[in-house]
Amino acid sequence: MAPKNMPLVTGVSPKEGPPGTRITIRGENLGLDVRDLIGLKICGMDCLLFAEWISPSKIVARTGAGKGKGDVQVFTKSGGKGTCTVGFRGYFLQIGPLQESAMWIDESQTVRANLDHGRPSAAAPLKEEEDPLGISDEGDRAKMTEGELLELFPEASGNMSLENFSPGWYLLENHHNASFEDLKAGLAYMQRKASQRSEGPITVVRSNLTAILDCLDSLTKTYEKFGADDIRGKCMDSYAVLLMQAKSCADGLFQEVLGRKDKADSTRNALSVLTKFRFLFHLPLNMQRNIQKGDYNIVINDFEKAKSLFSDTDVKVFRKVYKEVERRIANFRDMLHKRLLDPNNTLDEQNKLISYLTSLECQGDPAWECLVSQQAHLIELLEDCKDDHLESERTALLADAANTQGTPGSATKRKPASASPGAIFAAKGKSDLSAGGWRDRTPQKVMYIEDLTDIMTENFPDFWKLGQAYFSGEFNRTRDVPEKGFKSDTSKHSKLKQMIAELVGLFANFVRAAFLPESLENAADSEREKFGIWPTVAKSMVAGTWLPHCVRTIRSCVANLAGLDLTGDSMIILQDLAFDLRTNCMFTLLKQAIADVKSLYNKQTWAVETDDESGGTTQLPALFENIVSETVQHLHEVVVLNKPGEPEIFSQRPIQKEATVLCTQLLQAFAQCLEQLAYSPPLHKHPLDVRSSRHSKAAAERESELDDDEDHLPSLDKRLIIMLSDCNHTLHAVIPRIIDNLNKHGYVEMNKAAKAAQNTYKELDHKLFESYIEQKSDPIIGAMEPCMYRGGFSWKTCPSPTGVRSYLKENLMSMIEVHAEVFSISPKFVGRVMGKVTEAVVEEVTRLIHCVDIFGANGALQARLELRAFKETAALYSSKSTDACFDDAFKCIPQLSKEGNKMLEDLLAEFQSRMKFQLMCFRAVGVDTKTNRGVHSSC
Amino acid sequence: MSKAKTQQPAVIHKVIMVGSGGVGKSALTLQFMYEEFVEDYEPTKADSYRKKVVLDGEEVQIDILDTAGQEDYAAIRDNYFRTGEGFLCVFSIKEQESFQATQEFREQILRVKNDENIPFLLVGNMIDLKDQRQVTYEEALKRAQEWRVPYVETSAKTCVNVDKVFYDLMREIRSRKMEAIRQNNGKQKKREKKRKCTIL
Repeated sequence: MAPKNMPLVTGVSPKEGPPGTRITIRGENLGLDVRDLIGLKICGMDCLLFAEWISPSKIVARTGAGKGKGDVQVFTKSGGKGTCTVGFRGYFLQIGPLQESAMWIDESQTVRANLDHGRPSAAAPLKEEEDPLGISDEGDRAKMTEGELLELFPEASGNMSLENFSPGWYLLENHHNASFEDLKAGLAYMQRKASQRSEGPITVVRSNLTAILDCLDSLTKTYEKFGADDIRGKCMDSYAVLLMQAKSCADGLFQEVLGRKDKADSTRNALSVLTKFRFLFHLPLNMQRNIQKGDYNIVINDFEKAKSLFSDTDVKVFRKVYKEVERRIANFRDMLHKRLLDPNNTLDEQNKLISYLTSLECQGDPAWECLVSQQAHLIELLEDCKDDHLESERTALLADAANTQGTPGSATKRKPASASPGAIFAAKGKSDLSAGGWRDRTPQKVMYIEDLTDIMTENFPDFWKLGQAYFSGEFNRTRDVPEKGFKSDTSKHSKLKQMIAELVGLFANFVRAAFLPESLENAADSEREKFGIWPTVAKSMVAGTWLPHCVRTIRSCVANLAGLDLTGDSMIILQDLAFDLRTNCMFTLLKQAIADVKSLYNKQTWAVETDDESGGTTQLPALFENIVSETVQHLHEVVVLNKPGEPEIFSQRPIQKEATVLCTQLLQAFAQCLEQLAYSPPLHKHPLDVRSSRHSKAAAERESELDDDEDHLPSLDKRLIIMLSDCNHTLHAVIPRIIDNLNKHGYVEMNKAAKAAQNTYKELDHKLFESYIEQKSDPIIGAMEPCMYRGGFSWKTCPSPTGVRSYLKENLMSMIEVHAEVFSISPKFVGRVMGKVTEAVVEEVTRLIHCVDIFGANGALQARLELRAFKETAALYSSKSTDACFDDAFKCIPQLSKEGNKMLEDLLAEFQSRMKFQLMCFRAVGVDTKTNRGVHSSC
Repeated sequence: MSKAKTQQPAVIHKVIMVGSGGVGKSALTLQFMYEEFVEDYEPTKADSYRKKVVLDGEEVQIDILDTAGQEDYAAIRDNYFRTGEGFLCVFSIKEQESFQATQEFREQILRVKNDENIPFLLVGNMIDLKDQRQVTYEEALKRAQEWRVPYVETSAKTCVNVDKVFYDLMREIRSRKMEAIRQNNGKQKKREKKRKCTIL
């Protein structure tokens, strides 16, 4: 039944505020015009006085002193009492004397209360219930009791207005359950509040802009009103005078106070400036301290900070301090620079120093300078190393020379030392550089090369990495004009390349000078001098055993450096160096092995060791094999194992060829040795074995054993047969094994070498065999004729034979002797030797028979008997040629009569039975040695 | 009078406008409430509006709390947010900072409401000033998708999408309430008890 146009408030802005808040009320039917609006109640208080009707849907008003939440009611003539959907909450704002407020607040109560308590009014600016953190009261169900808090914070209080206020207490008391996030938000709120308070006026003006503008409007209006009323005249003047008087009076009253306040203010300002810029004033001292402590980063950061803050300050004091700072920084920079050029820094340190310097905007290019100095230092290191070692090598040589030509005492001293190398080994540990011990020390060159590679592997990577870092722009100075920086970089890039190449080249040449002097022959003399000329005395040659070690060192060094991704040239230099060294090492070792093998004949013991497989051999083939396999072992790492990126050592034709030739020579060398032994053995052993450094101990012991029975040097024939056996063994067992071994280790074209070696050994075999046969058959054959005709024997007139004559028996005995000799050395050769011997004897017999002019009947019988006996005895060793010879001989002898034949058979049987034991020698080889010896002794 | 009161629909959807200062929260609200566009700018502290609307044939009340965007009032927001059932998070497409600030508002709301699925609309206002645009549609949409909320561009001045955002939000609130009723039918007792405890 309500009128249709009943006022309805649907919006208030704002929805809460203290009394006097300007409020915009929106809604429907809020009056047709100003006069239609007859009432406005906010929170029950009539506010019509302040209401300003704008439109039927909008009224602007000021709130009254209503407190708490209440309705906003509009009354109109046309619509009557209205309703509202929204309400307004009024509250009282308590304000301290230092707080700005845009509206009039009745302070009388609060101020009086404060005055009554005699407390400064500024102490309680906040209402009790207002939370300084602005955190809502969500979580405070479990409050801590005051007792608990007192226990926690003795002599403290949660009251903010007291001097012993403790924030901890307050937080525990009021925000016991607030989360950390909430507390943080609260802190931000508090900070905002504080800054608002400091900004004060602006905030107030901003938040109450409209009210202030209203005031201004009112003032302007008032002014206009006054102007219009034209009452400027006397009235205003007197007011002005009065005001001036009041002002001077007030000034007089407060001058002293104000002066003190000004002074206090200025002092405070100065103090705050000092604290605010404490950083700058402390900076020089802090820098000093940090530099001493080594916290360069802090120094640099501080300086950067100071620079950005004060570099163009106008304040005199700051400028003065800043200048001091700059002076110290300059010193610091110099110090860093010096330290940077100190070559003993690690890479990290250098990197750090460079980045420090860069960030300090040092002039020039510290990284580059560092690179240059580093390179110089490396070169110096290498050269020092070279000079040191050359020097000690020379002194050692001198000492050696002095010892050799020195007093006889030293010479005698040396001899026993060498004769028993055990002593040398014992003396090795001693530090004295006596001539005897010199040889066994690690050779100077080996130490040299180790030191060189150490220097390279330790320092070069750092240098290289530094260079890399430099060009990858790690130290790029940001202040550089980009294109300019780039240009200088490219030119430096090639420079660095050059520096690296120089360094690597120097290293390579140093090594070459020591190990491959011939490869440097092309260099100019002055250059050559620079790389160090090593004395070329034979003794200073590095022993073969050390070479692989050196090669290993160099190769590992090269591999290390290769891991650095070096640029092309330097890598090639290094790889060439490694390759040349490897080749050189291989050749040297092979040559040494050849020499060793050649000198093996000094070690012949003539002690024959029989074994079933290969017959009797001396130690020599085994020694030979040992030397070869040892060499191969030594070379294995050098030759066969290729590290990634290294060329195959046999990939180059000339090297391959030479290696093959050397291998062949190595194999053939032993043949030479054997031959020498067979024909011209060393008369007596030289006690000082020139190459004994190699297997000094073992070999020397063997030698010393031999020294005792040195006179027992076998006769030529014996030597021949022994060597023959050795040769045979070498040919059939040792050589294939060695070839196998070589092939296994990757040597190429070994078949050729094997073939050549086999030919050599076959030749030697042949030669030895021929000589032996000659040696053996000559005496037998020579003795035959005289023996045959001993006692004036004549084939024509001889009596009826009584048996086989002794010449044949003697003959057979000598053959048995040969058999025994051969058998004792090597049963294998028995057939071969006996065949030849038999053949020779048969030929001789045949020749003798041929020479006979006429046979008597008895003579014929005798001849036939002897021939038959011989033929049957030697049947095992007969061959076509012997058979032919026998036939030939039989033809020359007249046929026998029947009795003759019978008699021949009888005599033959008698011969065979009587010589049974002896004849057994000519039976199958199965005859065991024992029987053979028995036969031998029975003779 | 009593009649007028009974006429008021029982269902009230409480909407809260959030966003940085000066992005047009009040403008959107006033446009929605009174079809009025306010040219001059006066910072809001906290305004309250409520009116009857017909939502999909059903009469409901919408209660709009227009909050202060200024940082000065950030701390009191918590209390306001707690009463809200749905949020219109407004930024100005011609002001990147206001867009960035939506992140903080979102976080604050999620923290206070402790509910990932609170009805929420991301509103890019002032599309009538497209030529001054700083926030692209795509990046705003991307953020909305991250939050899994709708994104709408509006203009309070030319009245584009103004009603839409309020109605969309109310629908969301309504469906949330239905869901909650369905879910909490059994638990209601418990919850009430719990709430009492909280008050204590």
